[in-house]
Amino acid sequence: MVKGALFKKSIQDMKKNRSQFLSIFIMAVLAIGMSVGLDTIWTTVYEHSQSFYKATDLSDFWISASNPSELNLWRVRNIKGVQKAEKRFSINNATAEIDRKPSLQIYAVPSENTLDMAEVMTGKRVSKRGAILDRSFAEANHLSVGDSLTVKVNDHKIRVSIEALALSSENIYAIKDTASMMPDPKGYGFIVMDEDQIASAYGGVKPYNQIEVQLTPGADTAAVQSQMDSIFGKKLNFVITQTDNRGVNFANAKVIQFQSLATIFPFMFFLVTALITFSTMMRLTEDQRNQIGILKALGYSRKSILWHYTSYGVYIGVVGILVGVLFGPNVIGRLLLSKLEHLMTFPIEDMVVNIPKFLIGASIILLFTGGISCYSCLKLQNETPSELLRTKAPKRGSHILLEHLPYIWNRLKFSQKLIMRNAMRNKFRIIVSILGVSGCAGLIIGALALFDLVSGIPKTLYDQTYSYDQKIILTSGTTDKVLKNLHLDGTVQNLEETSVQLTTQSGLRKMSVISVFSKESPLIHLKDLHGNSVTLPDTGIAMTRKLAELMHVKAGDTVNLKRSGNSYYPVKIIKIVYMPSSQGIYMTDSYWQEIGEKYSPTSVLVKWTHKDNDFLNSDYVASYTDRKTQKSDFESNLSAIFGTSFLLILSGAILAFVVLYNMGMLNFAERVRDLATLEVLGFHQKEIRPLVLMENLFSTIIGIFLGIPIGKILANTIAGGFGDDFDLISHVTVDRILIAALITLIFAAIVNHVVRKKIKSIDMLQALKSVE
Amino acid sequence: MSFIQFEKVEREYIVGDSIIKAVKEISFSLEEGSFNVVLGQSGAGKTTVLNMLGGMDSPTKGTITVNGEEISNLGAKELTSYRRDKIGFVFQFYNLVPNLTALENVQLAEEICKEPLNAVEMLERVGLGERKNNFPGQMSGGEQQRVSIARALAKNPQILLCDEPTGALDSGTGRIVLKLIRDIARDMKKTVIMVTHNAPIAEMADTVIHMRDGQIIETRHTEHPRPVEEIVW
Repeated sequence: MVKGALFKKSIQDMKKNRSQFLSIFIMAVLAIGMSVGLDTIWTTVYEHSQSFYKATDLSDFWISASNPSELNLWRVRNIKGVQKAEKRFSINNATAEIDRKPSLQIYAVPSENTLDMAEVMTGKRVSKRGAILDRSFAEANHLSVGDSLTVKVNDHKIRVSIEALALSSENIYAIKDTASMMPDPKGYGFIVMDEDQIASAYGGVKPYNQIEVQLTPGADTAAVQSQMDSIFGKKLNFVITQTDNRGVNFANAKVIQFQSLATIFPFMFFLVTALITFSTMMRLTEDQRNQIGILKALGYSRKSILWHYTSYGVYIGVVGILVGVLFGPNVIGRLLLSKLEHLMTFPIEDMVVNIPKFLIGASIILLFTGGISCYSCLKLQNETPSELLRTKAPKRGSHILLEHLPYIWNRLKFSQKLIMRNAMRNKFRIIVSILGVSGCAGLIIGALALFDLVSGIPKTLYDQTYSYDQKIILTSGTTDKVLKNLHLDGTVQNLEETSVQLTTQSGLRKMSVISVFSKESPLIHLKDLHGNSVTLPDTGIAMTRKLAELMHVKAGDTVNLKRSGNSYYPVKIIKIVYMPSSQGIYMTDSYWQEIGEKYSPTSVLVKWTHKDNDFLNSDYVASYTDRKTQKSDFESNLSAIFGTSFLLILSGAILAFVVLYNMGMLNFAERVRDLATLEVLGFHQKEIRPLVLMENLFSTIIGIFLGIPIGKILANTIAGGFGDDFDLISHVTVDRILIAALITLIFAAIVNHVVRKKIKSIDMLQALKSVE
Repeated sequence: MSFIQFEKVEREYIVGDSIIKAVKEISFSLEEGSFNVVLGQSGAGKTTVLNMLGGMDSPTKGTITVNGEEISNLGAKELTSYRRDKIGFVFQFYNLVPNLTALENVQLAEEICKEPLNAVEMLERVGLGERKNNFPGQMSGGEQQRVSIARALAKNPQILLCDEPTGALDSGTGRIVLKLIRDIARDMKKTVIMVTHNAPIAEMADTVIHMRDGQIIETRHTEHPRPVEEIVW
């Protein structure tokens, strides 16, 4: 019976203070929802990719070496830290002899191999003449198990029968070449066939060009690699690590990006929620001072009173947490994952929720809802019922510092004096309000900055760095000489893009993209960090800033460049250029030849005067894309991040509204008696309104100003959390600050309007009856 | 026509489904400069009468005229102006603004009135010249009530309305406060209407309006009201 009565009281109290409880509920939902929702993205990608890597036995690195001997393979297997080493043949310039001649990546593997196995989804590989085909490729090209397919490689045609469709760890983000940004399953896929089949295209000799190496967990990668150097010597072309693989890299980048987003933004949500919940719960419990006295006087036990008040916070906290944990993954998670799904070939339908982080978040919420109400009730518990029942004397007024400046003080109106004294007396609440507003303004600024950061990348690349109409990828036979005799009508720039291994003096090694083109470079405009044009040096290279940072080198340093199985070339870094995405090095075609390489352009960039369709359809051209397509592909590639930034702006705005509303209501509640007194004295509405509204407005404005540095810090942190491929510099522009300020001020105005109505409806008679 | 005139004034409150008649068709008139007491038990409707006269509440029926002006049909804004210019209020719980000093509380009147009286002089008049820079929280109940009287009178109102001004005070302090109200009102020729449930206090009034259950049961005029000093309660 007793418990029932108290429970009813809880429900009544919550109804009475529904706006406060509703706002705590909304904040809890947002904080938990945002943190769990954003976490879901990366945990899902991470878990699924890891289990996929495991299922397919993904190698840790691939050694590119032509025809490695059995002895060397045996040696590699015996390196300490190597678990498995297998050889295979891998080539990416094969074509499928079907409509549109799509490209194929061939893996020709000995039948006893176990590493980098494609995960068969339909069918089963049985015969030596059979092949496993990329499932997405098969679907896009309407091929199915049982069909036969002719593959053209090394100018020979091999006919295989498709016996299984599969997914591959090495191709989770299947990108054909440097012109493409979006996976195009119709134009590119992989095929796995037996080593015996590929031999026919290479004069009956089984070719091998790769050793797949899997390390024991915790092995010293650098030590293994240097031992491999000594085994293969000049025969070792380069080493591709997992992180050099575009698919693995792409999945990793998403994990890193969302890990960082899921840490930074929810942190702000929790901070603001904690602050506002703290001041609100304190206030709600203190308002119940008399009630606690009555309950005590009635003989309720200490424990049941304590639980009664703690339960307020616990109920609302638990409900908020539950709704948040449903809302986060199901709304935010699904929304954003749907934007990633089409980019990656492994299945991510099943979401993975980051349980430990959810539990931490939930405890924070409960600490600030239940914990604070428990604490403030505990504080009141120490007083006797009679003390509690006696009305609490109104807080004393006190003099403030400004009064010592009579020149200013004496000129102030009473309302102004009152506003200042009130502000000084309620320092805590005002500081909480200001911090709350600044947190929200910072969040909105940060979310806008995130949007700018991401949308700035394709803008910089495709509006500034590149000015071609089309990037035309050449077939491998197309020579420099052919290109010279083409006479395309427009501005033309040849470009060779290839991978090289770079090593630094300190032994750091990294696969990097090298772009080679003429010094004039009419269609590629390199810039330094400050936006000044950079021309390629005659000797030496230009390196992107992020790569230099990752390799711990700077302009003037020398790095060793390795390619084509020859010895290392020391090349000097002459210039540092800035690229927001795709880090790498640049050099002129003449220097490339000077260090002994053959200049064989992989693509032609053209700004057309008259589009030459004959050339585009010729055998020289493997594929081509428009710069505009690249730009929009890049944007859709990052659509999950765009989505995140919109969600963050939206939820930041909701949070701002809740904070402002709460702040306005608390301030109003504290002022009711003063307002009623002044109203009775004959002050008009417009004269007493400022007492509440000014304080709200001031804390809002100060909050917005403090929000600017918070937003900048957020933006900087986000910019640094995009992974190795990105080099982002956050610019919080004035218009972004103004947008955030405007959103906050509009909400403040709405809240002020509500408060204004409340002031108008004050019942003077009720308000002045007693000191309660 | 009298200075204050209530004519068949009725005030109903709707509480839930039921209608409560706090004041039932009452009529009375009071003269300018008189000292009047509305006497009655709690729930008799006396505060409602005071509130309607003070422009904090309006009658549902009937007319109230003050100095020839009908106030019973004024809007919220006009009522505020009426309170501002014509009425001084003293409450049982003082209702000082806690965050303003005694002087500043009195000066509030200066900010809104056409012909306010000097705030410092008013505080001296109630005997608190020395404490003008204290905050209400630093003062006793009697002192706070005296500040409240100073504030009400600094507005230089036509009518001073007092709602149980001694209700929260001990009898000694109450007597001082009552004497103060009586003396200042007489000196300044203010019309005073005071509400109390305390019958002996009524003896100091020129006119006593005795109410019960929303109705006037007796209106008594005295040519020689008793001085406060002689009243015992």
